[in-house]
Amino acid sequence: MSAPTTQPLLKIDNLRTYFYARSKHSFVRAVDGVSLEVGHSETVGVVGESGSGKSIAAMSVMGLISSGPGVIGGSIRFSSHRVQRDLLEGLDNFVKVEEQHGRVMVVHKDERGWQKASERLMGSLRGREIAMIFQNPRASLNPYITVGEQLTEAVRLHTANKSRKAASERALYWLEQVKIDSPKLRFNSYPSDMSGGMCQRAMIAMALSSEPSLLIADEPTTGLDATIQSKIVDLLEELKSETGISTLLISHDISVITRLADRVAVMYGGAVVEYGTARLVLGTDASIKHPYTAALLASVPSELRIRDKGNLQTIEGDVLDTINVPPGCRFYARCNQVTPEIKEKCATQHPPLREIAPGHQMRCWRFSS
Amino acid sequence: MKNYTQTSGEIGDFSQLPIWQKYAWVDLLYVGYGLLIVLLVFVSYILGMFNWLPYDPQQINMDLLMAPPFSEGYLLGTDFMGRDIQSRLIVGIQAYFLPGLLAISISLVGGVVLGVLSGYRGGKVETVITYFTNLVDSFPRLVLILLVIAAFKPDIYYIMVVMGITGVPAVATAIANKIRFLTQKNFIEAAVALGLRTRVIIFKHILWYNCRALLIIQATLGMGEAILLETSLSYLGFGVQEPVPSWGNMVQSGANYLLQGNFWPSTAPALAILFTILGFNLLGDGLNNILEDRRGRS
Repeated sequence: MSAPTTQPLLKIDNLRTYFYARSKHSFVRAVDGVSLEVGHSETVGVVGESGSGKSIAAMSVMGLISSGPGVIGGSIRFSSHRVQRDLLEGLDNFVKVEEQHGRVMVVHKDERGWQKASERLMGSLRGREIAMIFQNPRASLNPYITVGEQLTEAVRLHTANKSRKAASERALYWLEQVKIDSPKLRFNSYPSDMSGGMCQRAMIAMALSSEPSLLIADEPTTGLDATIQSKIVDLLEELKSETGISTLLISHDISVITRLADRVAVMYGGAVVEYGTARLVLGTDASIKHPYTAALLASVPSELRIRDKGNLQTIEGDVLDTINVPPGCRFYARCNQVTPEIKEKCATQHPPLREIAPGHQMRCWRFSS
Repeated sequence: MKNYTQTSGEIGDFSQLPIWQKYAWVDLLYVGYGLLIVLLVFVSYILGMFNWLPYDPQQINMDLLMAPPFSEGYLLGTDFMGRDIQSRLIVGIQAYFLPGLLAISISLVGGVVLGVLSGYRGGKVETVITYFTNLVDSFPRLVLILLVIAAFKPDIYYIMVVMGITGVPAVATAIANKIRFLTQKNFIEAAVALGLRTRVIIFKHILWYNCRALLIIQATLGMGEAILLETSLSYLGFGVQEPVPSWGNMVQSGANYLLQGNFWPSTAPALAILFTILGFNLLGDGLNNILEDRRGRS
């Protein structure tokens, strides 16, 4: 076995996931050339506004995109101690992309074949090697089955505890691990009898019960109220330090990302615009920031600004329409740091993701000369 | 006056509650009555099958035509040919029991298969299935049955096969809609992400846990409908043929003597039909409420 430790656990390279807007006869470039890495025992946060493609990227990794054309290119290299493979291996045989001037014009996709091949690649990994928790935890549990039963089902499916009794003991153990109160009682509860926070704890227990290598947390705090949110973040923080599980954390909530992530990718309009260690990207002392990250951070209400009764800062304009992607920088229309010298370049050329400092990559013309 | 009691087990643990506190008493009453009817139907079927009857249902007693109820060992009286109404009522269930089950099985199995295909697969399969259900639905059921009877013979099994097939669209549409509604919810996606196999998701998570109330309702309604259908066909003379008794042809033959004041030969089977159909419908209703419980809303 080639030492898997030298390879990052998850290496997404140039992932492209498109949808088709039937009424406009054009592609929605939801994820357009995203590259990301999640190392072993590392938490990578993906932050961005709604519609920036962060959830779609995560679902592409899980192979959960079923509407067309879906994933049309890229590679997702997964290398845990048990499994090393490209999650999109051979899938490009089912997709033919015709490009003109660097723009995808036609996609031919054998969706049946693609789905089947994807199922073959992902089938044994889902839930076992890569687990996922979703936003809106209440809707993620089957309303007619008790939490304990659902948890037991997951345990029996993925671990060596095949007997009903052993599995339900294990399930109860995991309910205790996620610090749900009165776990014995909750074991026999239906999701409708529990609060959103409890449901999310149960979902986390279910995800962790197979001891996966990678946890994908897709907006784990969205849809919960503020105090519960911070408790869930506390729990994730504790679990991270206890189990050392690698996590791909997706959130539009910068405070969640700052608390949990080791590295951060900022996404805008289906592409990563800034990528680096959490301290460099989101830290207050960092001097070089992508204009979008800077604007995002400025729009977080801070204690200081509230005390000064200052206005809450917003980012002018709307989130990029990923149907009509401009040729230049995607953030150009909303950027407040365009200088006259680079204006021309910003409007016409898409900036590449460049390393501006060790462990800090950025997609901006300002910092590339 | 309302009573509020705390459970003896851990707080909020509803599994500790006795059954009559867990569910509404109306639902329990419905289910109780429904189960009683089902039991009676089943016992009658067994009695009829082994001919454990007070009299031979086809034996004609010329000395005792139109005997009123409670006369000389004839509990429910005799009809215009002096045949024992009680025995004929018991044997009459034979006309519905197996044929009704056949009709229900056809519509449930067919409906579930088509519903799952159309709801879960979607696409072209769904279009084809929609065409099929629309085609079947657009055909008046009674006309279809009369056609089949004309082509073959007036046999209750032919009637019930047609009824089963015409019942498929209702079940298929209901299941497909339910699946479409459920797949919008995250938990199906979460189940996929958890690594569950598609067939486990369909059979366990969707059909068993989320559609069983719907299927039970369809089954009980179907049984009631089978009895009603046979009754209407008997009235037209196309149902179960004399001298084999069915509740439908008993009502029909008795109705001729209603105006003479001999009400019992048709009233007894009519009441039997009424209470049986009521029982099946209430059973479905009560079971639905009990199974749905509070879980539907989340």
